[in-house]
Amino acid sequence: MQEFNYQRPSTITELKEHLSQPGARILAGGTDIVPKMRQGKFSAPILVDTSGIDDMRFIEDRGSEIVIGSLTTHQELTESTLLQNINPALVTAAGSIGCQQTRGRGTVGGNIANASPAADTLPPLIIFNSSVLVQSLNGERRLTLEKFIKGPGKTDLQEGEFIHSVAFSPLSGAWGAAFIKVGKRSGMAVSIVNAAVAVVLDNEGKIGELRVALGAVGPTVIRCRKIEEYLLGKVPVPAMMKEISEACQDEISPISDIRSTEEYRDHAAEVIIHRAFNEAVDQAKGRGQ
Amino acid sequence: MKEISLDFILNGEKTSLISSPNRTLLDVLREDLGLTGAKDACGGEGECGACTVLLNGKPVNACLVFIGQVAGMKITTIEGLIEKGEFHPLQRAFVEVGAVQCGYCTPGAILSAKALLDENPHPTDQEIRNGLSGNLCRCTGYNKMIEAVHLVEGRG
Amino acid sequence: MREGVEMTDFPRKTGKHEIRKDAWNKASGKAKYTADIPVENLKIGLIVRSPHHFARIQDIDKKPALEIPGVLAVLTSDDIPGEKLFGSLVPDQPSLAQDLVRHLGEPVALIIADTKKAAGLAQDVIKISYEPLTPVFDPILAAAPEAPQLHPDGNIITELNLGDGNIKQGFEEADHILEDTFDLPRISPGYMEPETSLAIWEEDQTITVWVSSQHPFTDQGFIAAALALPIEQVRVKSGVIGGAFGGKEDSSLSILAALGAWSIKGAVRLVNNRRESFLAHPKRHPAQIRYKLGAKNDGTFTAMEAEVYMDTGAYASYGPAVAMILTETLAGSYRIPNVKVRTALVYTNSPLSGAMRGFGSPQSHFAVESMVDKMAEELGMDSILIRKKNILNPGDKMFTGVTLNETANSLPLCLEEAQQVINQLKVIKPAPGKKAGIGFALAAQSMGLGANVPDDSTHRLEWAPNGKVLIHLGSPDLGQGLAMAAEIITAERLGLSFEDVECLELDTLETPNGNVTCASRMTYMVGNALLDASEKMIQELLIQAGTLLDLPASELQYQEGRVIKPDGTEVPAVEFIARLAEESITLTSESTFSFPYPEDTTPQDLPIGMPHVLYCYGGQVARVEVDPELGTVEVTHFTAIHDVGKIISLPGVEGQIEGGVATGIGYALYETMLRKDDQWVDGFTEYLLPTANDLPLHYENIILEVPEASGPYGAKGIGEITLVPTAPAIANAVFDAVKVRVYKLPITPERVLGFIQ
Repeated sequence: MQEFNYQRPSTITELKEHLSQPGARILAGGTDIVPKMRQGKFSAPILVDTSGIDDMRFIEDRGSEIVIGSLTTHQELTESTLLQNINPALVTAAGSIGCQQTRGRGTVGGNIANASPAADTLPPLIIFNSSVLVQSLNGERRLTLEKFIKGPGKTDLQEGEFIHSVAFSPLSGAWGAAFIKVGKRSGMAVSIVNAAVAVVLDNEGKIGELRVALGAVGPTVIRCRKIEEYLLGKVPVPAMMKEISEACQDEISPISDIRSTEEYRDHAAEVIIHRAFNEAVDQAKGRGQ
Repeated sequence: MKEISLDFILNGEKTSLISSPNRTLLDVLREDLGLTGAKDACGGEGECGACTVLLNGKPVNACLVFIGQVAGMKITTIEGLIEKGEFHPLQRAFVEVGAVQCGYCTPGAILSAKALLDENPHPTDQEIRNGLSGNLCRCTGYNKMIEAVHLVEGRG
Repeated sequence: MREGVEMTDFPRKTGKHEIRKDAWNKASGKAKYTADIPVENLKIGLIVRSPHHFARIQDIDKKPALEIPGVLAVLTSDDIPGEKLFGSLVPDQPSLAQDLVRHLGEPVALIIADTKKAAGLAQDVIKISYEPLTPVFDPILAAAPEAPQLHPDGNIITELNLGDGNIKQGFEEADHILEDTFDLPRISPGYMEPETSLAIWEEDQTITVWVSSQHPFTDQGFIAAALALPIEQVRVKSGVIGGAFGGKEDSSLSILAALGAWSIKGAVRLVNNRRESFLAHPKRHPAQIRYKLGAKNDGTFTAMEAEVYMDTGAYASYGPAVAMILTETLAGSYRIPNVKVRTALVYTNSPLSGAMRGFGSPQSHFAVESMVDKMAEELGMDSILIRKKNILNPGDKMFTGVTLNETANSLPLCLEEAQQVINQLKVIKPAPGKKAGIGFALAAQSMGLGANVPDDSTHRLEWAPNGKVLIHLGSPDLGQGLAMAAEIITAERLGLSFEDVECLELDTLETPNGNVTCASRMTYMVGNALLDASEKMIQELLIQAGTLLDLPASELQYQEGRVIKPDGTEVPAVEFIARLAEESITLTSESTFSFPYPEDTTPQDLPIGMPHVLYCYGGQVARVEVDPELGTVEVTHFTAIHDVGKIISLPGVEGQIEGGVATGIGYALYETMLRKDDQWVDGFTEYLLPTANDLPLHYENIILEVPEASGPYGAKGIGEITLVPTAPAIANAVFDAVKVRVYKLPITPERVLGFIQ
């Protein structure tokens, strides 16, 4: 294991100071970073451990917004009744990650910062137009999650910055939000493809708002705006599935890798968009009654 | 690299130590503290669960935890499940139903099962499977482990 | 559980539910696996491995590594004082590479250091220059004359040509002929404990080596040869073993640990990580099987022709023997009068393949059992019926010339049980959107090492003064519960309680040579040896008791731990044992059991050097639900039907079956050691073992007891066959569900949907 100097702040203020040192990197749950450091794929002259900080571990309803502290674990997302009522897709996604052991360690901030195209919490956050609050000694800034993620493993995070929290507004009216993933096995499954869909139906049962995000089919999680535009204002019926498929193919660019092939990902993406869409619409119809 | 000193509660006893920070909880348990019940089977990737211990009651892969991260926390290892010479009911159940074969995954699986039952005293079959899904086993096919957990939740 | 014919009255004294004694230590973390044994002044061994698939070593500069403080030795092939090569069947494997590296991860140098850190630094700075050579990975390409040659005698190690009847005529008689190629992946034994070894050089110039191995006595021989020591100076002890499944018939790490300890005259431990385990230790052979089957309209098989290429990787390991069993089982459990088969075992630059649970049989059965179902489909016949028509009966000759004994009676029983299970499963409706399918496969697995090779097993009993009977078990318990089986059989024969009999850990200094733990034959071999040893011990006890009582031994009787005098009074045996102990006499008995290869049923002139004559049988029924849009397969129900001859321990038998089925499901659906970007999959992130979430929610064992006349209390083997029918049963179920036949494992969603072949 590579060497590093270890620091463990106990407040956010201290964290800012620690991270302002050149070469300082943040350690959250460690489920990705520890193996990467062992394999030499990640290095940190100074490793700033956040396990002593309690102030970034929360799920709060602030009226217009739900705010999730970046050190909130996947397990805590899974167990939150607040989130279950507001973003059930996120709860499903968090519950599908890894296993008991890693869900209890891995954090939502870590999942965002890793920026894996297959990260399971990203599509359900993106379909809620989430924004990320980034802090440093120099202050703070807020940007959308979509803008924050720059590429595979790349984010907009600058030297000295850390993710404080992620926030999104609840949907209202007849809404639904679903997440579906395809993995190679049921236990400890890494997504080959994942999809999240949020929909709001208007009074006439037409699609008033639609947001679709797909993971593991491009360099980042992809927001499928063509599908969204195409369906807006229409009444959801099975016949529109062909068009969804075509729109979907325009937007994704999957690759073949050790886990799956480009062709399969193309195909599976269409299938799970349909399914997530139908599930979200069913939820919305239920809430509309 | 500066060494760090820390305190934690290990199997109910206050423990202090000095270590390099680039060592994991698993390294320290096995190499410094002589507790070899937690095993390394996947090479420190968090993929097998053989090193599962409880950190403040929650199951973690000890290979994914840097030693500094446990400062001030309560750690329970398989060795700590025996109280006053009595095996924990899960240990007894695993042994009695034949859920132990080569035994390499057994300590981790028992601790995962304990964490599960502490949260959810009467899990369904599917919930037990979920709870054990981070603990790979090549010998048993898991059936007897699931039976052992049912045995304990039934008795409880 | 179903009862077969001719039940013995076993068990009388012991129960079928004894609790294995090692489980308590394992469940409390006290069990000492080789990596856990505390040692004073322990030094760390670290292996420098090849970064190339195939390369010539130009130069090794140890100096930078030796300059690291704390580094005690840097060893290469030149530092090995004795034999530089090892290998049970073909001595082709260098303990440390000489001149050439033939696979990624091959050991090139061994570093011994005070600390992990120093060893790691030395590993980083040692200078080894290589001239990369063009590797070959495909066994068919490697078999061609123009392929890069890995070894002096060429890339084809073994070529087996076998036939029976008249193949041309056989296919002429057929109304239907089907031909397909099946492709089986490289998979890992996947034991949880990676390879490890600990060696201590003692002041008396002997060396003690702890191993996690299936064959400690073989290790002892290789270590002695490598160190040029007399074998008496090498003592091998077995640590607790964290699973083996065939993969630990491999002496590589124990030789290197011993070399390290010998070189520094101290204590050295080597512990592989998972990556090293994947790259440098035996896997299941990948195989390509072209399979052609002919049948008449009524379903009778007339002819079978097969051509097989097996990839044994860079070194032979047990490949030649695996090739034999694969070949012998190419007709499965069926009577096929006209057969022609050719098997080539080929070197490639892949990680080595060797023994793994099933030993060739899982590969052959995937082809046979898929093809039998396909033929049933072609003929419009029921898949159980076509099997009933063609199964072997006692007295039938297999195409290898082996005549089957009466244990083949379990074949029709397996089919009858399967039919009932299938009938029950047929009424279950699939989940919305899913398609259900049911599949069956039958299997045969040989027991024993094969004729014409030493297949003996020796074990010893000792009646300790405290009344306990100790078993010096000459073959290691790999975790499967061999010790428990030995204890139950011995306790049963001696009429003692299970608690009064106890196995000791293996130590080549003390323990007789029980031979390698493998080949589905341990309960059979150990049980038979211990029954005989028990018998001898009773006779010896009566002689000694007679002397003490001043009575002829012939007038004494032994019953359940007591000696019965002519007047009917009883004396506990332990009283005599204690009296003898006062005179420094210990009651022991030793027995060797040799696997029987009867002359009249064993073919003598087969090109296969070591034919197998005794078989286990079983069948498995899988019900799957396939998502027709995503191609994902879920095994919802599974029934394993196996004949064990006689149940010695019910949890033991069930554990063997359930674990085997899980491994079989992994073979069917998930596992393959792919190469991508010039690296092998070498960790559990991408190499997917089934988790608790991936196995069927509805699971049932049907255990048959058709006694094997030569087995202890009628018992035969169960270790390997449990995973043999699993993959074809699942493939057949997938076909039943969505009419897609998968010819290449694993059955991934991509293959089910036809995106890849």
